[in-house]
Amino acid sequence: MGLLPRTHHGAERGGEGMISTIAYGLTIGAILYIISIGLSLTFGTMRIVNFAHALVYTIGAYALASSLPFFGGSFVLAVIFGVVVVIPLAYLIERFVIRRLYGQSIDYAIIATYAVLLIGVDACKWVWGATPLSVSDPIGTAWTILGVDLPVYRLIIIALSLLVFVVLELFFRRTVVGKVVVAGLEDKEATRSLGINVDKYFSFVFILGSCLAALGGALYVPITSLHPYMGFQVLLLSFAVVIVGGLGNMRGTFVAAFALGLVMAVTGRFWGAASETMVFVVMAVALIVKPIEV
Amino acid sequence: MQSSLFDTLKKFDLLIIAAIFLLFIPLLTMQRTTDFMIFCVFVLAFDLIYGYMGRLSFGHMLYLGVGAYAAALSAEHLSGNPFLALLVAVVAGGAVGLLLGPIIVRTTGACFALINLAFNQVGFFLALIALAEWTGGEDGMAAFYDSVWIFDFGDPKVIFGFTLLCLIAVVYFVRRLTDSPFGILLRTIKENETRAKFLGYNTFFYKLLAFVLSTSLAALAGALTMLNYTYATPSFIDPTRNVEVIFACLIGGAGNVYGALAGGIGYMVISNYLPNYIQRWEMFLGIALLVVVFRFQAGIWGYCRALITARKGEVKA
Repeated sequence: MGLLPRTHHGAERGGEGMISTIAYGLTIGAILYIISIGLSLTFGTMRIVNFAHALVYTIGAYALASSLPFFGGSFVLAVIFGVVVVIPLAYLIERFVIRRLYGQSIDYAIIATYAVLLIGVDACKWVWGATPLSVSDPIGTAWTILGVDLPVYRLIIIALSLLVFVVLELFFRRTVVGKVVVAGLEDKEATRSLGINVDKYFSFVFILGSCLAALGGALYVPITSLHPYMGFQVLLLSFAVVIVGGLGNMRGTFVAAFALGLVMAVTGRFWGAASETMVFVVMAVALIVKPIEV
Repeated sequence: MQSSLFDTLKKFDLLIIAAIFLLFIPLLTMQRTTDFMIFCVFVLAFDLIYGYMGRLSFGHMLYLGVGAYAAALSAEHLSGNPFLALLVAVVAGGAVGLLLGPIIVRTTGACFALINLAFNQVGFFLALIALAEWTGGEDGMAAFYDSVWIFDFGDPKVIFGFTLLCLIAVVYFVRRLTDSPFGILLRTIKENETRAKFLGYNTFFYKLLAFVLSTSLAALAGALTMLNYTYATPSFIDPTRNVEVIFACLIGGAGNVYGALAGGIGYMVISNYLPNYIQRWEMFLGIALLVVVFRFQAGIWGYCRALITARKGEVKA
């Protein structure tokens, strides 16, 4: 169930090892950020924990792996395919599960989306089998920076997450749709009283978040291995990111994702097995310092 | 006439519960029936938090696992006395609840569910890897219990009888607890915590108390599982198994002792027999959960109760 890159060697010592550890941490942080946005948005707008988010992530990753041969090995096209494929799935989940549970106890939403996750994971096992698959690094070269070999692919992931951050900032601050969503995050009732159909925008946000989760899943495939249960672990980590960053706080999510990615990498350097547990310890500390009373 | 019949039945409910489980023995093996009862204790512990206090925990396996491992470690390091093991397990469950409770009970809704899940994950990691020296890691650990007086827990009949007594005691305890002012306050917290605070109650304290009681009961279920199987594995603390108790609680009907029992039995029957016929068990479980959430929220007991009230109405008319 390990989430740390399998090429990561905890045994390295010295300053060079630390630089590559930090680089790995930033890569994990970038992936966590891309995945967590959707969770943070649905959490912030609908107060729903969407367990099906993990399913969308898994589907995105599997779609990339199986479509790669059809696109003649073009990684970019396969990533785009992985992202597009989840749009109808996300729409169906939103339309037939989440929308039917508006206004009801949120516990039912948690259980229902978990049920969707169970069904989807079992379907993945059915289609692709339970044995882990892997995809090789699409670029394969590494740049030497400060005497450390850094794979270019990871640097691209970090750059891409920064790009996503900038685009989302612009989207939420400059466009009407983005502003409506921000207003809905702040006060749903007041936004609705202005005559705005908030739910329509929320379902748009839901699909956007799902696409980003699929993007994160697709980008992560070359670093880790693919298996039907890969979503469970990532979901908990992204939840920790959302909690530490603040519900529905986009910038907080960004900072928290990279901070927790570094926590994972640094812990993993000394004790590989403890890296994920450390994230939850940080989350518990964050909750003690700043309790969430929703 | 009908209503008085139900009232009479309700007076002897503990006896009826015992009779139902005794009737299960010829249908199943004795160890299976014991398993059913242990699961019912666990569902009751979960229901105290979910059904009565309205907080969905997605990590109750942690407390079950703590109980199981505590009972196993007690046999290995302290003494083979099974009652000491039970005591150690319940105290350990309570201690974990007391340690994590102040962080957990301040949250509600989704946060409550997922923080429990996160701690469950930490516990799973501790049992599987970090403390593998003591817990045996993936291989698990065996524990052997001495026989004390007439209680020789190697005998399935003895463990059946003892578990039945435990279950009856827990049912009685939970019913008394939830009928008491404390139980009413818990339901007030479920409905509207701000009002409970308005009335001057320190809701944090009561929530913590309910949480610790629930974790102790879950640990008791874990310790009983240890007595029944004498072997602890990381599957006792596996966070992906949390859905079992949630499903059991939902199909039975949350917030009711009889509902929890009906759900516990119902889930165990389904999970023991259906996987023999259905290949895709997780998919079935998911679909069943969706059906329960969308069409059957009141559960088995809620359905029965609606039937009874309808009958009562007819009698009066």
